[in-house]
Amino acid sequence: MIKVLIVCSGGMSSSIVVNTIKKEAEKEDIEIKVKAVGTGEFIDEVKEDWDLVLVAPQVRHRFAGFEEQAKEENIPIELIPPQSYSPLGGTNLISQIKKYL
Amino acid sequence: MNKFFEWVERVLMPPMAKLSEQKHLRAIRDGIVSTLPLIIVGSFFMIFAFPPIPKLADKMSPELVGKILIPFRLTMGLMALYASYGIGHSLARSYKLDGVSGGILAMAAFIMTTMPLTMEEVGFVLPMGNLGGSGMFVAILMAIFAVEIMRFLQTKNIMIKMPEGVPDSVARSFEALIPAAVVITIIWIVRVMLGFDIQAFIMNLFKPLVRAGNTLPGVLIPILLITLLWAAGIHGVSVVGSIARPIWMVLLDENMTALAEGAKVLPNIAPEPFFQWFVWIGGSGATLALVFLFLNSKSDYLKRLGRTSLLPGICNINEPIIFGAPIVLNPLLGIPFIIGPIVTGIITYVAMYFNIVARPSITPPWTLPAPIGAYLATNGDWKAVILVIINILIMMAIYYPFFKAYEKQLLKEEQGKDVATD
Repeated sequence: MIKVLIVCSGGMSSSIVVNTIKKEAEKEDIEIKVKAVGTGEFIDEVKEDWDLVLVAPQVRHRFAGFEEQAKEENIPIELIPPQSYSPLGGTNLISQIKKYL
Repeated sequence: MNKFFEWVERVLMPPMAKLSEQKHLRAIRDGIVSTLPLIIVGSFFMIFAFPPIPKLADKMSPELVGKILIPFRLTMGLMALYASYGIGHSLARSYKLDGVSGGILAMAAFIMTTMPLTMEEVGFVLPMGNLGGSGMFVAILMAIFAVEIMRFLQTKNIMIKMPEGVPDSVARSFEALIPAAVVITIIWIVRVMLGFDIQAFIMNLFKPLVRAGNTLPGVLIPILLITLLWAAGIHGVSVVGSIARPIWMVLLDENMTALAEGAKVLPNIAPEPFFQWFVWIGGSGATLALVFLFLNSKSDYLKRLGRTSLLPGICNINEPIIFGAPIVLNPLLGIPFIIGPIVTGIITYVAMYFNIVARPSITPPWTLPAPIGAYLATNGDWKAVILVIINILIMMAIYYPFFKAYEKQLLKEEQGKDVATD
């Protein structure tokens, strides 16, 4: 079971990506928990039990700040490449996560 | 064109990114955003008080209207007060100080700028005039003042430390004791003893900025900055909004106050709903038009993307299409994405300037489909729906040639692939 936290601007667009990841994970039989939060909630949510943080491309200008907070909790953090960040990017997204299985 | 994107990425983005990372601006944005539920619910009572159905509206007695408007007055009418807590809270959190103490101190600093009046039989009352959106800049500056004092004292180690074993919540409230004393005393001396009207001073200071935000350039500059940032893949509204939202808030407050007073023509054109419902149809860059074009694309990829992006697009979520198409760093789709909203922005501004379409005063939730949102935002003007449809059609026309060129490019690649697999 891998627990992935995704942060985007308001948590709206990333919930679409969350569904994409869940569908793809089901196909590949990967047990996964994914949650999307907005930038405001990140500071609290990152303190929960997560294995990986993914940052949506449209908030990549704030990556340094998120990285600092994730490092404090010892959670690896990665940027989602722009071309994966769409409902059709499922395979790319899951292979990005698989590295941490 | 690639040079242009390089310019956006290298010259425009870093300072804008830094701006959006800036602690105070971030606190302002998060603080104001946290009041959004109150704004939305409060403004809906405005629709109940002045229903768009004339027959119903005529039947309402002034007394009933007054009663229905109470939730509006206690939400929108106290907006700056709520925001001051949110701003103080998030600024304190960003300094790793106690958020609740920061929020309460910010709120106290803001309310201390208001002089209570005495009314016979009632006792003390607070005049609410400047506690709503019009006092937003006062709330922002007082919140920053309060939390900065708190931080200054903390770094200088001037605070009351409780012995270990004292419950956290008790220890925290004692830690906030000295900052509270300093903040309240300073504002008391300036406002009450010296009689300096802090509110009037700050509001006058920001007046030119607010008025500028309501002009045509004041509308087009944020539109342009937002699409430029998005074209580089950065969330434009969240960056630009942290600076522009306080201005939009004051403009909105003036419109709502005028509406509550029964005005037929509202003073301002450009509160945030102007952008949300008439320009950003389907999300920044008005991409719903592009989704419609994709639905009938000959390219298999664009067609699939159009289908999966349709529902999010109707709800004004367009990341799937911005990153999926992609529009990001793609000159072919980037050009209409940047130019189109300027055109629809001008058309909407003109339509509202000459009062052909009612000016926005209500803030419906941003995930509503644009025609419904625009109808509600203008307090029930059916011409707003027509304007939204016209704007969608204009955007489709602007996107069309670029879409066709991009489709051709993709078709070549898709056919190339088929040949390769054969």
